[in-house]
Amino acid sequence: MMSEDVLKESGRSGAFIVSAQKRKMQKLAKTAGESILLLIASFVAIVVLFIFYFVTVDAIPYFQLQGFREFFTSSNWYPAGDPGEFGALAIIYGSGMVTLGSTLLSVPMGIAAAICLSDILPFSVRQYAKPVIEMLAAIPSVAFGFFALVIFAPLLQTQGGPILMWAWWILAAPFLLLAVIVISDLLSAKIEDPKRRQQISMFLLVVFGVGALAFLYWVGSVLQGIEIITGTNALNVSIILSFMALPTIVSVSEDALQAVGRELREGSYALGATRAETIVKTILPAASSGILAAVILGVMRALGETMVVWMASGNSSHIPEPWFNYLEAIRTLTATIAGDMGEADQVTGSARYHVLFAMGLLLLVISFISNLVSERIVVRQRKILSGQ
Amino acid sequence: MNLGTRKILDRSFTAVGFGSIAVMGIALLIVLAPIIYNGIGSVFFTGTLEHRNMLFNEFGRGDKEELVKENAASEVYRKQIYGMLDAFEAELETMEPEKKQDYLSKYGPVRTALQTLIGPLPGEETAILTRYKYGQTRWEKAEEKLHEFLYEAKWDYSNPDVMAKEYFVSRAAEFEGTSLVKLFPYVEKHLPDVLRPRFTVYWGFLTDSSVDSHIFGGIWPEIQGTFFLAVGAMLFAFPLGVIAAVYFTEYAREGFFNSILRSANSTLAGVPSIVFGLFGLAFFINTLKVSESKSVLAGSLTLAIMILPTIIRAAEEAILSVPKTYKEASLSLGSTKWNTIMTVILPAALPGILTGGVISLGRAAGETAPIIFTAAVSVGSAIGLADVFSSPTPALSWNIYNLASEHEAAAEIRHVQYGMVLALVSIVLLLNLSAIFLRARISKKLKG
Amino acid sequence: MTADSRETSQKEQVKTANREIYLPSERKNISGGGTPHVVAKDFSIYYGEFEAVKKVNADILSRYVTAIIGPSGCGKSTFLRAINRMNDLIPSCHTTGALRFDGEDIYGKFTDEVLLRKKIGMVFQKPNPFPKSIFDNIAYGPRLHGLNDRKQLAEIVERSLRKAALWDEVSDRLDKNALGLSGGQQQRLCVARALAVEPEILLLDEPTSALDPKATAKIEDLIQELRGSYTIMIVTHNMQQASRVSDYTMFFYEGVLVEYARTAQLFTNPKDRMTEDYITGRFS
Repeated sequence: MMSEDVLKESGRSGAFIVSAQKRKMQKLAKTAGESILLLIASFVAIVVLFIFYFVTVDAIPYFQLQGFREFFTSSNWYPAGDPGEFGALAIIYGSGMVTLGSTLLSVPMGIAAAICLSDILPFSVRQYAKPVIEMLAAIPSVAFGFFALVIFAPLLQTQGGPILMWAWWILAAPFLLLAVIVISDLLSAKIEDPKRRQQISMFLLVVFGVGALAFLYWVGSVLQGIEIITGTNALNVSIILSFMALPTIVSVSEDALQAVGRELREGSYALGATRAETIVKTILPAASSGILAAVILGVMRALGETMVVWMASGNSSHIPEPWFNYLEAIRTLTATIAGDMGEADQVTGSARYHVLFAMGLLLLVISFISNLVSERIVVRQRKILSGQ
Repeated sequence: MNLGTRKILDRSFTAVGFGSIAVMGIALLIVLAPIIYNGIGSVFFTGTLEHRNMLFNEFGRGDKEELVKENAASEVYRKQIYGMLDAFEAELETMEPEKKQDYLSKYGPVRTALQTLIGPLPGEETAILTRYKYGQTRWEKAEEKLHEFLYEAKWDYSNPDVMAKEYFVSRAAEFEGTSLVKLFPYVEKHLPDVLRPRFTVYWGFLTDSSVDSHIFGGIWPEIQGTFFLAVGAMLFAFPLGVIAAVYFTEYAREGFFNSILRSANSTLAGVPSIVFGLFGLAFFINTLKVSESKSVLAGSLTLAIMILPTIIRAAEEAILSVPKTYKEASLSLGSTKWNTIMTVILPAALPGILTGGVISLGRAAGETAPIIFTAAVSVGSAIGLADVFSSPTPALSWNIYNLASEHEAAAEIRHVQYGMVLALVSIVLLLNLSAIFLRARISKKLKG
Repeated sequence: MTADSRETSQKEQVKTANREIYLPSERKNISGGGTPHVVAKDFSIYYGEFEAVKKVNADILSRYVTAIIGPSGCGKSTFLRAINRMNDLIPSCHTTGALRFDGEDIYGKFTDEVLLRKKIGMVFQKPNPFPKSIFDNIAYGPRLHGLNDRKQLAEIVERSLRKAALWDEVSDRLDKNALGLSGGQQQRLCVARALAVEPEILLLDEPTSALDPKATAKIEDLIQELRGSYTIMIVTHNMQQASRVSDYTMFFYEGVLVEYARTAQLFTNPKDRMTEDYITGRFS
């Protein structure tokens, strides 16, 4: 070919060609470099394996010594006794109780806040709302624990009844009012004549309104009469934990809501839906799996939290009576590990030492499973949203 | 449904959203306000002469001449008080044994209360614990103790259905008819003359060691311990995390192995903090034996593992947000991939990576559970840098717990606890605010 | 026409086009120019299974400006980016056939793509200065290749900026962040940055698509200035631009090099029906 000839004439050889040996060295260096990087990146995986291994290895001796039955079925926790009793049922129950309590409080609030952040607040306000959430997330757990123990617990103990009553009024009154409006509207919707419909709707509104008010007042006065024996109880811890779980729930849910595209929103608005209807009927279902993942992460935050429950739960190893009594002191897995290790550490090798690792293993397994589940959920949602 | 009702529902829906955000803001305020208010009180407060004496004796600070003068002025009133005590003790001797016994049992608590208020009385043995060497150093505590001195607290158990009620009985009334009855109004009236309260700014709270397990003195050992632990954790976690993030973003190929690594990262992020503590104890101390028992090193390593996922995630995000065009430009100029990463991508991602690092530093400083078994001790002095490999250290987070829950005089040193909480919260929040600030600057810079 | 037969006919046309490269009289004007600098032989580029560029045969002549035009997705950018192996960034991308630069295989076993890219500079669609000072942007390349002497660097920076016709505008603020420049200035800075490593070829990938008309005119003037000193290849979606700045033009359609000829000829008297349809705006 002509071009080749010309090139030979010009006699220039490409300056970018290197010797086979140098090329080999380059490749070797590249592979070596990447291997080192890979090794460092694998460090996390190795650490996870190590955590499972070392916690398990120290948990097994407990089950060898004491078997499985007592741990899960008995509520007698006397590790220092002779022989020690290691019934963790009440402790597991306590963990579940505060986790459930904080979830019930934080999930509705968290989702509402996430919706507000992603769909309602104008950008200028959102700029200030986000740092608030970040600061809430940043406050160390021991500071929350200190607040719960030193400020909130005495307040609950002395002013418990009135606090409960006010909380009831503030939380329940708006929702009951709404319910009354919606129900009277729905009941009167079938009537054809607009004038009559309005009259009946008004009548229903008044009747239900008075009923609701009476109900509010009655429950309020019952709550006001409650005397709280100890401020360090499951309610205190649940409330504080819910504020600690909130930032997680809000930020992960908000991501999920943001991932739902603009098109979906515009489609719904174009059909004449209000903002609330658009969000509830269109966006929330589309983002539901992401929000579920957020809830799981929030639950894990509450379950794994140590300092608040250790300081403010009362650390009393018994199942409350009745079983839903949030005003009693309880004890959780994390607080037990933190609190008992100080003495158990002196007797390494005893059941008393290893039972704490058994509790750690239980926590680890639960968190691992929750994490896997939430991860799967997020991946699935991403796939659905991207239409694959 | 009615259009009107739909609109009401829509509005209330919006209100619920706003309400939730407001609740969060209010919660933040409710938690922070008392901490800030009371925490500031650990540095700015009305201090008494006892505080100034304590500072002079324990830390060698203060104006000696001034102090001598003040003590002399105080002594005038103290003499009166001591005189009354002496008079009453002499009077006791003249009483019949039964009556004497009765008064003695009441007189003991009075002496103790007075001693707590204004410091050791003449004729007592020299106290071993520093806390008994001084009276009240803070005026608001002194007022509290004055009340305890004037009134005896009793509990009313008469109604078994409700909790016992506290009520107060005047001590003066109990000594009616003796010479001691003059003591109570005298002390009440002249307490300011004895203790000489004055507005005090005690920066030493942040820089002094504690005296007699935090009854007096400052929180420097805790601040320093927190600093060592957090910085130590960063030293391990930051380089590792950034390198891992570089691998994940620039080198990793999609595949099974890679997805395992990513799963591991989120699993690690979800491990409860107390389990890190267990792991640190079982692995770093009992297996690797990085130190004999608890040490800063073991604590830092444990914290490092805990913050690693956060750093990796933040660094990944920062690297991914560097425009692809930078990389193309660099490569097209004949740069190698590694060189491109080092000279273009990492510098451009640096603010983002630092933001993540700063937030992680705050998290490491604030965490308690992982260091309980690995690094923290309740009492102790500040350790030297050379001791980090072998000695445990006090740390803010742990000592807040310890002082609030386990200290024998927890209720007496609330101001120290508040001061510690405020110190910790400010460290963490300042780090976070600087991260927020940093991020705002980046987004401004990227906009050009 | 069936799809198959159309494809065969296109392939024939490509061959025809290649054979009929018109070596023009301008050859005289550019000293040392006009030799084949980059040579493609049955060169194909694949993204996974998809053949994005199909068996291209072409000689790109040194020190001339060659424009590549064609509808979007026709493979023109892919072809351009293959020349300095920027496609390596895409994991699924691989090539067949041969692409040679100065007679050596660009995709050869012993090719060091880093050294290759030093010889073949590139300017991208969107101006992409680094978030560093103007000076550091230009000096980035020379520093990479081991030059650290401040005085020499300053010389290179000035020379490159002068070549890129930017010196007069920025000489007093070399230490300012390059992101503070206007879009057109940024793009000329990118050209200067590419020139600073003294490449032989300059690849321009739609360099004016993000610029306003005034800045575009400046870049086009710049290309005219550089013509004769560098082999320049420019991908553009703007046919007027191609006709204004280039000596030769390649027309790509669905990965096939349909026609390659002297620009004046291609725009006034295209050999291929498809080319004619495209340049007259019947499809785009």
